[in-house]
Amino acid sequence: MSYTAHVTDIAYRYDGSFPGFLCCIFESYAKKELPAAVLPPEEGQLSLFGSRDIPTDMARASRVAVGLARLGGEVRKWVYSGFLSCQSGKELILLRLARRCFEQGPRVLSMLGDEDVAAAFRLMRRVRSEAATYFELIRFEQRGSMLGTVIHPENQVLPLLREHFCSRLPDEDFLIFDATHGTVLLRQRGSVQYLAMTHYEKGPSQEEQDWQALWKRFFKALTIEERRNEKLQMSHVPKRYWQDLCEMQPDEVEEQQKILENPCQIPSNMV
Amino acid sequence: MELGDKLEILADSAKYDVACTSSGVDRPGRHGQLGSCRLPGICHAFTADGRCVSLLKVLYSNVCVYDCSYCVNRRSNDRPRATFTPRELAELTIGFYRRNYIEGLFLSSAVVGSPDATMERMIETLRLLREEYRFNGYIHAKTIPGADPQLVERLGLLADRLSVNIELPSEASLTKLAPDKKRTAILRPMGQIAARSTQSKGEMVRYKKAQAFAPAGQSTQMIIGASPETDYHIMNLTEGLYKKYSLKRVFYSAYLPVVQDERLPALTQRPPLLREHRLYQADWLLRYYHFSAAELLSREEPNFDPYLDPKCNWAVRNPQFFPVEVNTAEEAALLRVPGIGPKSARRIVQARRMQKLGMAELKRIGVVLKRAQYFITCNGYAAARGTRQEIAGALLDPHAFGVGVQQLSLDDFVPQALPDAAPQVHQLAEQGVPVPEAARLVREEALTCLTRRM
Repeated sequence: MSYTAHVTDIAYRYDGSFPGFLCCIFESYAKKELPAAVLPPEEGQLSLFGSRDIPTDMARASRVAVGLARLGGEVRKWVYSGFLSCQSGKELILLRLARRCFEQGPRVLSMLGDEDVAAAFRLMRRVRSEAATYFELIRFEQRGSMLGTVIHPENQVLPLLREHFCSRLPDEDFLIFDATHGTVLLRQRGSVQYLAMTHYEKGPSQEEQDWQALWKRFFKALTIEERRNEKLQMSHVPKRYWQDLCEMQPDEVEEQQKILENPCQIPSNMV
Repeated sequence: MELGDKLEILADSAKYDVACTSSGVDRPGRHGQLGSCRLPGICHAFTADGRCVSLLKVLYSNVCVYDCSYCVNRRSNDRPRATFTPRELAELTIGFYRRNYIEGLFLSSAVVGSPDATMERMIETLRLLREEYRFNGYIHAKTIPGADPQLVERLGLLADRLSVNIELPSEASLTKLAPDKKRTAILRPMGQIAARSTQSKGEMVRYKKAQAFAPAGQSTQMIIGASPETDYHIMNLTEGLYKKYSLKRVFYSAYLPVVQDERLPALTQRPPLLREHRLYQADWLLRYYHFSAAELLSREEPNFDPYLDPKCNWAVRNPQFFPVEVNTAEEAALLRVPGIGPKSARRIVQARRMQKLGMAELKRIGVVLKRAQYFITCNGYAAARGTRQEIAGALLDPHAFGVGVQQLSLDDFVPQALPDAAPQVHQLAEQGVPVPEAARLVREEALTCLTRRM
């Protein structure tokens, strides 16, 4: 590996923001070193390495951002979407990738057999494929004049959903609430905002419930019983997505019937 | 009749149509319209049989004047009938689309009155959607065999993809099982769509206001297992269709016995799901792996091996082609290695420009080496050595011996053969052999056979 830096046993601590991370890249060049770890505030206590706080300085961050932009769209895509991941250790992976790109140019990205690049590739692909899953699995409900929905993603996928849904629903107002991270993508009158939000009340009107019931009936009617294969279904839509899918929720009527058929299954608090 | 009932009846009638893709056209959204299309297509839900729901797949009507013996909607079958109105269907599509339930509309229909009358109503629905509701999403429309060419032309200007079902793999079977449909009536619109689509592509490049005619191309489907054709016959037909009519896809649908008829397989017969799976695998080999039908099957070996996927089968028959050197081989040669697909091949070609590839690098790239390792060399060294039996074990398709618990009720924990396991496993299980044991026996026998062949 052609690093002009020494691998040290220092861990960087930064404030968890993207500019903060760019400052870590700056620091690593300034000190000619590769940190042993780059830690966001919530992981800072757990490290065994000696640590150094990296202050977030917008001037430094923008210098690094300009440098990254010069490397072209592909590098930008890898670093930015990789940073949306919630995997621990993502910062070090991206820092090493960024250094490789600065030193050898954007062609490094095609070295998928290389350890640093392969790790960053996996990181980026995981985030983007989760976002692509949400292109499929978001179910909007009508709330007044707006469409709304809740999702529970692993990674912070909202920025990656923006372009797709704004293009698809060009004249609609909508909000997508990311319940895992407490953020919301709000699109109103053609402009988009990311806001913090703690909780979203599902409150579909009667009309909305009718639409959902209609969709459920359609969904059930499409199943061919002779080909039933629930394993296959589960491999296409893993169970962690089911909570937000209206067609995967059991019908109330059916549930009551099941309980009537098996009275021993009634939970004690209902008796 | 209530809209929900209609939807249920007409979705239930349409579910045997296989094509549910939304690929082939990339169209961003525009202000004043609703919707966009993405090139690879998007699936929005997966039903309990594991098939995707991408489009609102319904029939316009299931009141059919024809009497095709394999079809649930034939005239003589006793089942509930319904017909949409164009506005109902358009509102349903928009309502579902806004909620991101679907990617667009898949509209087919039984023959109501005459083919022309049916097509006119379908065209009215699509016109309403595109012009009044300003719908910019995906529309797949099925042309009705025997309809006027001018109607096909109008349909193509409204829809993204058209399809004409070829129904059965040979003319003899078609005459026997679907006496109302004529082979020429199926192939003529196919030819028309192919010619018109090419013409429109040319015009789109040259003129600003040229209209797109079925920009996502056309597809077709046929029923497998209702008639006696061999896989060799079907693959040759498929290849011919791809070449002659430049189809985007050919779909296969395993025949589900829906009616007792002396011309058809018995009602107790299982749908040949594994055979369907093999045909799809071979179909992919034709489209993405540069194989030809003649390489996969021959007159002497007219059907696919149930235990081995077609590509592995080709590899076993052509040992002289291997090993392939990953650092120098052409992409087409890499694609012939069992276990290396288009994605892996592309990544290998990309990565080896920058570095020499060994086993560790291949693993990092994400190449699945379970089968591939026996067929490649890295820098002149064999990637792995194995006895014949080990190699045979790696090649056998685990699909064919699938056993699992399919829980249909609360106390149902008995392992069963999965629906797409080999017919032999199902047979043994029916004779009373415990299912895991049956699968093991069949696998052992397949393994011995394959080891001997190599």
